[in-house]
Amino acid sequence: MSIDYAAFRRELEAFARASCPPEIRAVVAAGQKITKREYQAWQKILHARGWGAPSWPVEAGGTGWDIRQRLIFEEVMAENDCPPLYHHGLGHIGPVIVRFGTPAQKARFLPRILDGSDWWCQGYSEPGSGSDLASLTTSARREGDDWVVNGQKIWTSHAHEANMIYMLVRTSKEAKKQEGISLLLVPMDAPGITVRPIRTIDGWHHLNEVFFDEVRVSADNLIGEVGKGWTCAKFLLERERLPPANVARLELVRRQVTRLVEEAAQAAAGRRDFSSLQHKLLLCEADVKGARVMMAQATDDLIHQRPLGVQPSAIKMTCADVAQRLTTIALDAVGPEAAHRFLALDDAEDVPAATWIQNYMFTRARTIAGGTSEVQRNVVANELLGA
Amino acid sequence: MSTTTSFPPLFPGMLLDAAGRYAQDHAGAAELPGDPVRELGWTATLVPEAAGGVGGTLADLASIVEGLATHGLHLPVVETCAVVPLLLQAAAPETANRWLEAVAEGSAQLAPLCALAATPDEIAVDATHLDIGFELSGRVQGVDASLPATHWLVPATLDGEAAIFLVDAERIGAPAATYRTMEGPRGADFALDGLAVPEAACIARGEPARTALAAATDAALLLTAADTVAALAALVQQTVAHLKERRQFGVTLSTFQVLRHRTADMYVKYLGAKGLVVHCFDQQAQQAPDLRRTLRLAKVSLAETARHCAEAAIQMHGGMGVSEEVLATRLAQRLIASEFRYGDRLSHAAHLHPARAHATPSPSVSNPRTGSAR
Repeated sequence: MSIDYAAFRRELEAFARASCPPEIRAVVAAGQKITKREYQAWQKILHARGWGAPSWPVEAGGTGWDIRQRLIFEEVMAENDCPPLYHHGLGHIGPVIVRFGTPAQKARFLPRILDGSDWWCQGYSEPGSGSDLASLTTSARREGDDWVVNGQKIWTSHAHEANMIYMLVRTSKEAKKQEGISLLLVPMDAPGITVRPIRTIDGWHHLNEVFFDEVRVSADNLIGEVGKGWTCAKFLLERERLPPANVARLELVRRQVTRLVEEAAQAAAGRRDFSSLQHKLLLCEADVKGARVMMAQATDDLIHQRPLGVQPSAIKMTCADVAQRLTTIALDAVGPEAAHRFLALDDAEDVPAATWIQNYMFTRARTIAGGTSEVQRNVVANELLGA
Repeated sequence: MSTTTSFPPLFPGMLLDAAGRYAQDHAGAAELPGDPVRELGWTATLVPEAAGGVGGTLADLASIVEGLATHGLHLPVVETCAVVPLLLQAAAPETANRWLEAVAEGSAQLAPLCALAATPDEIAVDATHLDIGFELSGRVQGVDASLPATHWLVPATLDGEAAIFLVDAERIGAPAATYRTMEGPRGADFALDGLAVPEAACIARGEPARTALAAATDAALLLTAADTVAALAALVQQTVAHLKERRQFGVTLSTFQVLRHRTADMYVKYLGAKGLVVHCFDQQAQQAPDLRRTLRLAKVSLAETARHCAEAAIQMHGGMGVSEEVLATRLAQRLIASEFRYGDRLSHAAHLHPARAHATPSPSVSNPRTGSAR
C-alpha cells in the first residue's frame, strides 16, 4: 500500500498545533534551554498518540515509519516549535537496548523510555578520558549478584535531572584497552552517587561531574556481554552522530536567526552594518539544504543496514559547524543589546536577546561533545588516506 | 621559544606588576573585597599633578589593564580611571580640580552613566531646562555597576549639543534592573524619567563637553584594545600549557599536528594584534588626525582575532573549555565579550564604510564621514 505523504504531513501538522502546549512551544520558539519539564510533557503527549519513538521498530514500541515519514515528522515538529525528542533515552540507550538487551531488559526499560517515566543521562567521559574514551578507568568489580562501581564521570549533561545513567565501566584490565569495558545501567538514586554541577559559559546548568563510591548495581543491569561494552558504545556513538532532528532543527534556528537579524537591522536604522551577517546567512541557508540530503541518505542507509562509512562523522561536523555559524550570527546581531545584560540578577527580568548569547556559548560544545570535530576529521581522513 | 621571550609585556613597569599581583591573588573570586581600583590609587593615574594626581598617560593605565587581563580579572579601570577624569576635565577649572582631587584621593567614587555597549560620545540621555536646573530623561542600558558609586557622570544632549552632568548617586537612585555581564561583572539598566537636577549639576556643555567625550571615547577604545591583546597573550600561554600537559591516546595533545598548527595560528594572530595595538598607541601619542578611524579599524580587526582565538582555545581545551572554573575559559569569555564594549564590529564598520550600511550612521560628536574625532 503506498503512503500518502502529503496527508501524513497534514496529520502531523494538525496534531502539533493542537497538542503541543503553547507554553512549551514558546520555550522552543525563543531558543531557550529545553529542560526535562518540557521534554517529558511532550514525550507523554507523543506516546499517548502512539508516536513516542519514531526511530524504533514496531516490535519495540516504535512507529515503524519509513525514512521519508521520519524526516517529515522531524521537519513538521521543528516548523511548529515542538521540542525535539529527548536524545539520551530515545536516540541513544533505547536503540542499544533494542539491539543488545535481553528480553527481560527490553521489557523493563523500553516502556519507561517511551512514556517518559525514566530520564537518562550518559556516563562516558572521564577527567582523563575524553577523545580517548577507551582509556576510561571507572571500574566495576563483581560481588555476588552485583557489580560495585567506583570512579568519576564528567561533562555529564542532565545528570541532575536524570533518574538513570548508562555508563561505560572497566570490568577487567585486558591487553587492549577497548576490551574489558562493559555497559551498565545504573539508577541515579543508588547509594554512593554524588552529582556536582559544573558552571558553564552559557549560564545554564546542564553539565555535571558524577562520582561513584562503592555503588552497587544488580548484574541484571549489564547490557550485552561482560567486557564487550565497547561494541555497544560504538553502536551508540554512530547513532549519536546521526540524530534525525539535527537538520530540521538547524533550519528552525536558521529561520529564527534570519528574523533576529532583520529585526536588529531595522532597530539599528543604519547605525550598524549588517551586510556581512546577511551574506553569512545565505551561506548557512545553502549548507542546511545540502545537509538535509546528506542526512536523508545516511538515515536510509541505516534503515536498510547498509554500511554508513564516514557519513555520521561528516554529518556531525557539518551540523556542528552550521549551528555554530548560525549562533555566531545571532551573537553579532544581539551583542550590543545583551552582552552586558547576560543573566538577570536580583528581581530583574531576563533580556530575551541574551538567550541567543547563551545559545552561542552553548553551541561551542557542538564541536566537542560526542566526539570532537578533530576526531571526526580523523575518521574521514583515515577512510580517504588510510590509517 | 620560551614563554618569557615569546610574550613580553606591552606596558612593563611597576603598575603592571602591582596589577598583575592583585589579579593573581584574586583570580576567579566571585566577589572582590572593598573598592580595589580606588584603594590601590589607580584613579589618580590620569589626574594631573596640579589636581593631586599622578599626571600619567594612557600607557600607564594600559599597564594596569594589562596586568589585570593577564589573570582574567575584570575591574572597571577604563570607566573609573580614564573616562571619569577625561570627562571631568571639560568642567570649569575650579570645578574640575575639586572633583579631580576627590577622584585622585578616592574620597568620591565617580562612574560614567554610559552604556558599555556604546562609546561615551553616543549619548542616550536628553536634558531639558527647568525654571531652576534641568530635567534628565533617558534609558541607559548595560552600565558597569561592579563598584559602588557616590556620583554619576551623565552625558546628555542639551539644546542640541553635548553636555555633561554630575549627579549624586542618591538622586539617580537604584538601577531599574541588574545583570551579570557575559564576562562576569555586574551591569545595570538605569531609567531616568524627568529627573530634576540643580543648575550646578551641568559641569560642561558645548565644545568642551564634545571634546571631552571624544577624548574619553578614544581612551576607552585604546584601553579596550590593550585589554584584548593582554588577554590574548595569556590565552595563548594557557593553551600552550594545556596542550603540553593534557594526555590522550598515551601522548600529550601538543604532539597532534592539527593542534600545533591551530596554536601557531593563534600566536601569529596575537602578534599581529599586538602590532596593531602598538600602532594605535603611537598614533594616539602623535595625536594623529585620523586616530578615530585607526581605533575603529582596530576594533573591527581585534574583534575578529579575539573571537577566532577564543573559540580555538575553547575547542582545544575540550570539555574544560566550556567550564567557567578554568582560567583559559574565562579569558576566552572576556575576549568574546570585549567586542561588545564601546561599539561592536558592526557599528564601527558602519562608520568605516557608511555607504554600505544603507543609511547615514546616527550622528555622534565625532565626524561620521572621516571617523575623526578631531
